[in-house]
Amino acid sequence: MKYRRQLFSVKDPYCDNSDELFTKAVKENFSYCVSHCNDYRRICEKLGISSPADASELPVIPTLLFKKKQMLNTGCIPLIKATSSGTSGRKSTIAFDLGGLLCGLKMVMRISKLRSLLSPVPCHYIIMGYKPHKGNKTAVTKTAFGATLFTPALSRNYILTYKKDGYYPDFDRIIELIVRHSRSRFPTRFMGFPAYTYFLLRIMDERKIYLKMPKGSRIMLGGGWKQFYAEQTDKNSFYRLAEKVLGIKENDIIEFFGAVEHPILYCDCKEHHFHVPVYSRVIIRDVDTLKPLKNGKTGLVNLITPMVKATPVLSVMTDDLGILHDGSECSCGLETPFLEIVGRVAPEDIKTCAAGAEEIIKGLNV
Amino acid sequence: MIFFDGEIYENNMRDKLLADFESRICDTLSIESLSAERVILAAEKIIADIENGAFDDIISELNVDNTDHYKRLIIANLSRENLEYRLKTELGDTDFTTDFKNGITPKIRVMTKPLGVLFHIAAGNAEGLPVMSVAEGLLAGNINILKLPSADKGLSVKIVKRLCEYEPLLSHYIYVFDTPSSDVRTIQTLAGFADGIVVWGGTEAVKAVRSLAPPGVKLIEWGHKLSFCYVSDYVNHTDELSALAEHIASTKQLLCSSCQTVFIDTDGKKELICFCEIFLPYLEAAVGKHKSTSIGTRARDTIISYTASLEEAIGIRQISPDTLSGKGCSLIIKDDSELELSPMMCNVLVKRLPKKDIVHTLRNAKGFLQTAGLICNESERERLTDLLLSAGVTRITRAGNMSAYFSGESHDGEHPLSRYTRKVNIEPNY
Repeated sequence: MKYRRQLFSVKDPYCDNSDELFTKAVKENFSYCVSHCNDYRRICEKLGISSPADASELPVIPTLLFKKKQMLNTGCIPLIKATSSGTSGRKSTIAFDLGGLLCGLKMVMRISKLRSLLSPVPCHYIIMGYKPHKGNKTAVTKTAFGATLFTPALSRNYILTYKKDGYYPDFDRIIELIVRHSRSRFPTRFMGFPAYTYFLLRIMDERKIYLKMPKGSRIMLGGGWKQFYAEQTDKNSFYRLAEKVLGIKENDIIEFFGAVEHPILYCDCKEHHFHVPVYSRVIIRDVDTLKPLKNGKTGLVNLITPMVKATPVLSVMTDDLGILHDGSECSCGLETPFLEIVGRVAPEDIKTCAAGAEEIIKGLNV
Repeated sequence: MIFFDGEIYENNMRDKLLADFESRICDTLSIESLSAERVILAAEKIIADIENGAFDDIISELNVDNTDHYKRLIIANLSRENLEYRLKTELGDTDFTTDFKNGITPKIRVMTKPLGVLFHIAAGNAEGLPVMSVAEGLLAGNINILKLPSADKGLSVKIVKRLCEYEPLLSHYIYVFDTPSSDVRTIQTLAGFADGIVVWGGTEAVKAVRSLAPPGVKLIEWGHKLSFCYVSDYVNHTDELSALAEHIASTKQLLCSSCQTVFIDTDGKKELICFCEIFLPYLEAAVGKHKSTSIGTRARDTIISYTASLEEAIGIRQISPDTLSGKGCSLIIKDDSELELSPMMCNVLVKRLPKKDIVHTLRNAKGFLQTAGLICNESERERLTDLLLSAGVTRITRAGNMSAYFSGESHDGEHPLSRYTRKVNIEPNY
């Protein structure tokens, strides 16, 4: 995996002259997957792909498929396994190799510079996500914990704690802690699901709790809006509420994007756009034909990275609908294109009245 | 969002508004009563609005294929003619005094009165359903509390608000809350105000409502149903096959009344293959015509079929040799005769069911049967209709009209207005 190493050693994660190296790295990963994963080889045969000329010609695997069957590359020692959070009930398990994780570490160090996330000043952490638990292998839990390593942690508290029969949010306890942290000399960092963070802000607003968090406090958002899509707020009202309730300014709100099947850290720029880093490519595909579309058009999001060797996640397609914009459309100065997620495909498991009746009849016949 | 007293409030006002809700309800019940005529007059004004395009922007956002047809349906539904017909047929004679000449039992006056307060828990799978549920409650004279489905795009509140502007009295009779189903405490509080709870939709919803309803509250469940098409002669009815294909493609098999399984009147498998070969081109043509316009739906369909082809490649999906696949659709022949949910999205099950077995087989799905589309020779229609009704089917139509709305039809074998009212008795004053 020589080209992978070279790609993840590129100094500027947003330079726009890495295409040649990227193509070499994906071809290297492709050959490995074909020779180490029978399922991957069968998919290539089915799609008639033998030697892709560039990233756009790689076999695209829907994340849905990883949820239905675990596919791993043989002959590669999986160091850790992570699962998607299974918003719709099904999870996928992705294994990571040591080399891939080291690449990931380099990537995180470089990308975190974009928003100066690394700091020697200790912080309190409020994690708007899951408290790690032996039964929870989700990648969001791991990344949320990982994000608390950017600075020395004075404390870590979680909104979702594990009780006897599952995870429950405990807003009252967290609000109490935030009030206490607001009087601390040290800043507080919030990390986690946007939906829970937004609920928290709204509850504090309803209760008229208005604080001024210490200088250097930040809100980091990641992990998507989960099942709360209906609650999805426009970002500006979120920023306004954060300033009103916690005194944290828009500049100190940072959003991440990523998926367990595409473990590349997307961090928003100061204009809150997700520029594509050198380690990754995004192809927006036509919703009917899956052919690549030009920038500016809406379609299915195909994410490509040669980072992982243990699982064939080289080129995956998520359930998101997105648009890729030219880098020049953003005033932040980064030149690579940026990805905008505009929605999700219609839910697959549409519950209809007929579907419900089926379940009841089956239940009665058992 | 809360709609209360004709005004829109933020959710953080909820507890305050609910604090004196009971006394407000009592005031409404003791001071005035809502005549059906006032509701009909307000509905007529809404019809004029819809005709003038006042709701076009919201309707165009709804997930309906033919918005023009959809608008005409709402108008037909809310028309004076339809509402008056429903009052007459569903409630019958609403005020009369008995006159038995047996010399033993005294006379009694019989009247129809509203239940009082209805709490509607509406489902999200049919656009416009929450408003229709409330309209029925109003027509029967009830105070209505509506819990919106999470998928509601704002049409319900817009129509309800307009209704109250036209007839200010209605603002004492309609309250809307967009409380999510997960907020059990609020749902329970709202249920506490009700004389009847009207619940539409899922098993989960119905179960949850049963568990939280206070004892003594009347539960009115409009639950899940399954529908099918019964075919005893297709060779001479190709126009009806085309209509059936249209029905399947236009509803995508997502409604209670959508055809899930096609039953062929035969004992032999050969006949099933024969039917599929004739029917598939019709289905393919209809699917092509009804391609979804929503990008999210198209994307979903593409992912599902692309994933399915990869599943086949890695051996986790066996394509049955008895499946005939067309573009965007398939016909799946199965060996048994049970009524079953199809994979939907124009993937239709085809099974054998000889006439003699109709009642025996369909009884297995009793309580969940709704519409049967019937394709047969005219000489057989009456006999087959009787058999299907005896098996428990509540609605029999031509194949193309399985999901059509018939003014004056009952709902799952019942008249909604009669479920939203009570028959009271008063001994006359002599």
